[in-house]
Amino acid sequence: MKRGLVLFDPAEIPAGEWSDRVAAVQRELAASGTDVALIYGDVSRSDDIAYLTNLCIYWNEGILAVPAQGEPVFLTKLSPRVFGWMRLVSTLTEIRSGRNFAELVAKFLGPGDGGTVGLIEADLWPGAVTAEIRQALSGWAVRPLTGLVRERRQAPSAAELTLLRRAATALAETADGAAAPGLTDRERIALAERELRGGGFLDVFADTARTGDGVTSVQITGQYRYLWLHASRIADAGGASWPGALRRALAAAVAAAADGATAGDLDRAARPALGELPAGAAADIRLVHHADLATNGEYADYPADRPVPAGSVIVVGIDVRLADRTHASLAETVLVTDDGPVVLTGQPDPAEAGGPVR
Amino acid sequence: MTTNHDGGADAAERALRLGRVRSAMAAGGLDALLAFAPAWRRENVRYFTDAPLAGTASFALLTAADADGVSAFSTRRADLDSIAGRGWVTDTQPLSVRAPSALIERLASAAPARLGVAHYELLPEILLSELTRALPRTEIVSATGLMDDVRLVKSDWEIARMRQAAGVVDAGWNAFVDALRPGLPEHGIVAAVEAAIKGLGAEDNFMLIASGGDEVRGMTAPTPRLLAQGDMVRTELTPQLNGYWLQICRSAVVGRASDAQRRSFDLFNEAVEAGIAAVHPGVTAHEVARAQNDVFRARGLGEYCTSQYTRVRGHGHGLHIDETPIIEGNETELPENAVFIIHPNTYTPIAGYHVLGDPVRVTRDGAEILITTERKLFEGATR
Repeated sequence: MKRGLVLFDPAEIPAGEWSDRVAAVQRELAASGTDVALIYGDVSRSDDIAYLTNLCIYWNEGILAVPAQGEPVFLTKLSPRVFGWMRLVSTLTEIRSGRNFAELVAKFLGPGDGGTVGLIEADLWPGAVTAEIRQALSGWAVRPLTGLVRERRQAPSAAELTLLRRAATALAETADGAAAPGLTDRERIALAERELRGGGFLDVFADTARTGDGVTSVQITGQYRYLWLHASRIADAGGASWPGALRRALAAAVAAAADGATAGDLDRAARPALGELPAGAAADIRLVHHADLATNGEYADYPADRPVPAGSVIVVGIDVRLADRTHASLAETVLVTDDGPVVLTGQPDPAEAGGPVR
Repeated sequence: MTTNHDGGADAAERALRLGRVRSAMAAGGLDALLAFAPAWRRENVRYFTDAPLAGTASFALLTAADADGVSAFSTRRADLDSIAGRGWVTDTQPLSVRAPSALIERLASAAPARLGVAHYELLPEILLSELTRALPRTEIVSATGLMDDVRLVKSDWEIARMRQAAGVVDAGWNAFVDALRPGLPEHGIVAAVEAAIKGLGAEDNFMLIASGGDEVRGMTAPTPRLLAQGDMVRTELTPQLNGYWLQICRSAVVGRASDAQRRSFDLFNEAVEAGIAAVHPGVTAHEVARAQNDVFRARGLGEYCTSQYTRVRGHGHGLHIDETPIIEGNETELPENAVFIIHPNTYTPIAGYHVLGDPVRVTRDGAEILITTERKLFEGATR
């Protein structure tokens, strides 16, 4: 649940960048003959809406309507009593509330001869909501649109990168602290909450895992403003030798995260070191765009041969599942550049990777 | 604060739940029930699995043909192992939202004539279309209300869990008061509370906050506002422990309370007490809300009980934070062992938005307050 700091600071992202983002979407709408795009969000995943407005849906659901011309309007079931706060922490000037999304959308579009309404990532909207909207908008063509906002979010702007670097420093320090020897699992999680929420993170998901042979790992996903990062650390090897191989495998996967690399490339780079895992263990080499961390990449679609372009921020991680169904993981948040990967949340030993990692 | 699993009691609880659900399914003419859990509404899958969930999408499936069987599906591999380890389901399967073959095959094999989907209203189009394509002769209906009704009355096993959660609630409030000092930003309070309750095993927390004087009209997520001497700091704080959410509503003053803040507390405390006094088995949500609102009306403050200033006069608790709304007009009956918070939180001109409330269990002859935190206007440190 969202309960950390919600902040809208024009010094962090200039006003022109916010309007440019909306304008870029509007150009795509105009090019595709779409009069209005609708973007759905709920408390667990609303980053497209935040990218365009900085609005945090701290509870419930909402729809952002982006007309091909004009200002975006937020449609919500939340009470007008919170509109003042929503305007204070976002670029929004107009917010409308009601009991039913279909009625809100129909009222927003108003009477007329109809046109074309695009549902961005319609396949991830609640099907019941899309059905109601289609029914309410007689005279309008309602069609699905691709994840055009999400695609824009994958490569952060210079201003966003500044925020990500700031957040990554805090997350890395916190992850190291939470992975320190001698702490209980709860102490590791409590430390992460105290440090990151105290440092202005909006959301924190900290957890620990312990394998049957005593390897403890700490996983921390954090949201700073509307941007996401993740790091996982081995807190205690428990006498097992394979965590060293896991570290080498992660370093190799990270080193492979060059401009144009694919998930398959990362997998191939990491596999040799994973031969040292215990018998029966399975390893999953993960590549998740930071833009998809709200869902841990579970709603995304990453073909193994799709290249990751320079400028992307991704999480490179390895999840290990031992034969006894216990787990461990290691992961870093990585900026992919023309010159190679830059680990934002840590600094793997270059010697382990067989090459320099900046 | 963790729960020690008791095999016998756990098995009895599981059997009780399956019995309740199957009775409701029979009454509703359902051949199968599919509980869907998006990341923010996991209560129904948790009801069937008793395991913590982190995946973005999860399901639990019951069919009328398999009397004791429950299948679980999740997008998160670690969830499946956690669910299997708990032992409440008969099988687990990974779920891909873009290729949900295991789920679809299981449903197609069951071929129900009428399928109820709990949280049908939140089911992504990509999954709903797969269901309808795989089950062309099946009537698919919402079972969200069915599961809300099933979960309304808590078993003794659940009440025991909620009592454990109450301990974390009390500790969270203590951490809140201990943190207060001039110059601390609102989000610094949240950090202190989170560290305290996570250290006690809380899985999650829902929390709103507001600080300031009589200009405060409601609560939001925390801001960077720095606390000042004389501020009243309001919160609703709702830790989740072992699946169960429980809330406390309190206000505290940084330094010494003013006369207006004390008068405001007295008013809200009277409203809470009126709400508690109204509780008995079978009382309606409307009656509990009206008892609270009448206290304001008697003082000419009735307008502050309207939607212009406030939302509800409380709400149910359990595996979800915000169950049955306690609001005038809601004729839902609250039977023995229903659990909800009574909170007349609203704005008045006396001292601004005021937050006060206790979670209660409906007992045979009244209400049991589940937390031990004193109901008073707290005064925090002045350092």
